[in-house]
Amino acid sequence: MTQIVMSGNSAQSYAALLARVQVIAAYPITPQTTIVEKLAEFVANGRLAAQYLQVESEHSALQSVVSASALGARTYTATSSQGLLLMHEVLHWASGLRVPVVMGVVNRAVAPPWSIGADHADTIAQRDTGWIQFYAESNQEVLDTVLEAYRIAEDPAVRLPAMVTEDAFYLSHTVEPVDVPSAETVDAFLPAREVRAILVPGVPARLGSFTGPIEYVGFRRDVARAMERVLPTLAAVEEDYARRTGRDHGGPLPTYRTEDADAVLLTMGTATTTARAVIDALREEGHRVGLAKLRVFRPFPVEAVRALAASVDRIGVLDRSFTFGPTGAAAMEVRSALYDASPRPLVSDFVAGIGGRDITPEAITRMFALLEGPEPPELTWIDLAAPEASADG
Amino acid sequence: MLEIRFHGRGGQGAVVASELLAQAAFLDGKRPQSFPFFGVERRGAPVTAYCRIDDREVRLRTSITRPDIVVVLEPGLLRAGSAMEGLKPDGILLVNSREEPAALPAPAGVRRASVDATTIALTHGLGTPMMPIVNTAILGALAAASGAVSLGALEQAIDRFVPAHPAENRAAARDGAAAVRVAPPLTAGHSRGASSAVARAPPLELPDAPMAVASSATIATAAWRTLRPEIDQRRCTRCNFCWKFCPDVAIELNAEGFPVVHLEHCKGCGICAAECPPGAIAMVAEG
Ligand code: SF4
Ligand code: SF4
Repeated sequence: MTQIVMSGNSAQSYAALLARVQVIAAYPITPQTTIVEKLAEFVANGRLAAQYLQVESEHSALQSVVSASALGARTYTATSSQGLLLMHEVLHWASGLRVPVVMGVVNRAVAPPWSIGADHADTIAQRDTGWIQFYAESNQEVLDTVLEAYRIAEDPAVRLPAMVTEDAFYLSHTVEPVDVPSAETVDAFLPAREVRAILVPGVPARLGSFTGPIEYVGFRRDVARAMERVLPTLAAVEEDYARRTGRDHGGPLPTYRTEDADAVLLTMGTATTTARAVIDALREEGHRVGLAKLRVFRPFPVEAVRALAASVDRIGVLDRSFTFGPTGAAAMEVRSALYDASPRPLVSDFVAGIGGRDITPEAITRMFALLEGPEPPELTWIDLAAPEASADG
Repeated sequence: MLEIRFHGRGGQGAVVASELLAQAAFLDGKRPQSFPFFGVERRGAPVTAYCRIDDREVRLRTSITRPDIVVVLEPGLLRAGSAMEGLKPDGILLVNSREEPAALPAPAGVRRASVDATTIALTHGLGTPMMPIVNTAILGALAAASGAVSLGALEQAIDRFVPAHPAENRAAARDGAAAVRVAPPLTAGHSRGASSAVARAPPLELPDAPMAVASSATIATAAWRTLRPEIDQRRCTRCNFCWKFCPDVAIELNAEGFPVVHLEHCKGCGICAAECPPGAIAMVAEG
């Protein structure tokens, strides 16, 4: 193991290198581009023996890896924002064809207005495509989760595509120390993909062709069943990873200082780190507050949310996107999971940090003030007023 | 925890400077974090980069609004005023400038430092007179003036992570460390120029249709410019290439068909000069 100061994007590239991916499809988009640039460097230097495909669009990028994966290859691609939106059709193909594609996504706001800032709307808009979705908090978690994602996606019980996401700039371009496991460690954890090729060269067959309604229902149900097996598989895979590397990211909903907490904030991605510091500060002042990190959005960890709810009165949800439902997407899922809970905690949604807006310690402190206040609103847009300070004119 | 904010322009290396500082801090045994903020990703546009250095893992993932140190890679950025925003009263301001530090504007209490990183960079052949790469020289100055990192770690980081001309960049860092000058802080009542208060912008008036906010005609990008195009009419063939290629529509053709640059919209990107077939456009440094 070595420690390297690297960006979240480099952590994606290093993970793909360590996973010994065989086919990479690349199409540039800010702030993802440096992921595939680094991979191009690995391939050019001979460190990675992969086919590197430069394609003409994100739609083609995903289609290329879906096809390669159907032939048995371990594949990687990465995108962001508008690029992910263009992939939407093929995202459904990937899960429906049951190919274990793993993709890095840099969470970036969708236009208009044009923005390159962090925002989860791009991947939240893909929550219904049958992909496993991981949201990472640190560059270390990016690297570890991509490796775990291959194991889960390729597990015969699952066989579903997975995306590992990271916040634009707050991870993609942030450099910080990352432990890089040795090739031997990763090879033992993630051996070459067991070839259960769906397609075999020379053996004519069709994938995804016309189906009557009777079979169609079964295919969809199969995907749903596979989704149900993801969290148990994650638990086993994480345990194995922890045994080999000493690192355990705590399942789909790791918690922080929730034991005796009355109010808990549920976060996704990088807001979690800042929230942890805020919780320590509030605890010093006597507030009984805690944190739950929603690390896996699909499948939604319903049981873990119910277990959390059993011991707290109030749950705040920080949604770093707004997708025009009654509340943000994570809050809707939490409410749905808790409909039958008794007692049922109050759920208050905070939409914050969208379009790259900073989620400051002050903003998180305000969320807790509302959450602990007399009447926590159902939905609050945090920092809706003018920017606090623009960096430059 | 030490918080350092870099201000530069796209292409000057502010982001690389911040990352190199993080690498050096790591070699010093610290836990660093560095990340950039891009307004617009274009050469010449203002770029901000943030670096945090701590003994333990950094637990903030937000931009730096109350820096301990502000590093300005191009003195023109001081004029915009926002570079000093939030700078702590006992902080350090380090500017790439030929001027003596005592001449730098700063709020009371702030230690002012300056270094002529441009000349140092050019002496070592780093970049071109039009676009000198000043980041290693200014990092050397930062190490000497603040102790944020050791010069040894900085040189090691340069060796490992600067792909081109590591020896020259190391020499530039050493020269920057030797040449930096520091002026005592101004006392209250004598502070000059931009204040370090965090500005609160007035509430935004948001238009209903975000697509119609502005056009090239209304956005003056002149503040980004460090070079200006000068057209030699005797060599101009009136081919219109510069007019076609200018990304900011800063060039118009006059009645005779000669190009005229509207400097209030010219950001100094040099595309017109690169595209001009007879080489009639020269990019000259702003005074
Ligand atoms: S340098 Fe030339 S191409 Fe660039 S903005 Fe100015 S006039 Fe236009
Ligand atoms: S590109 Fe050069 S020659 Fe052509 S119109 Fe512009 S200045 Fe004249």
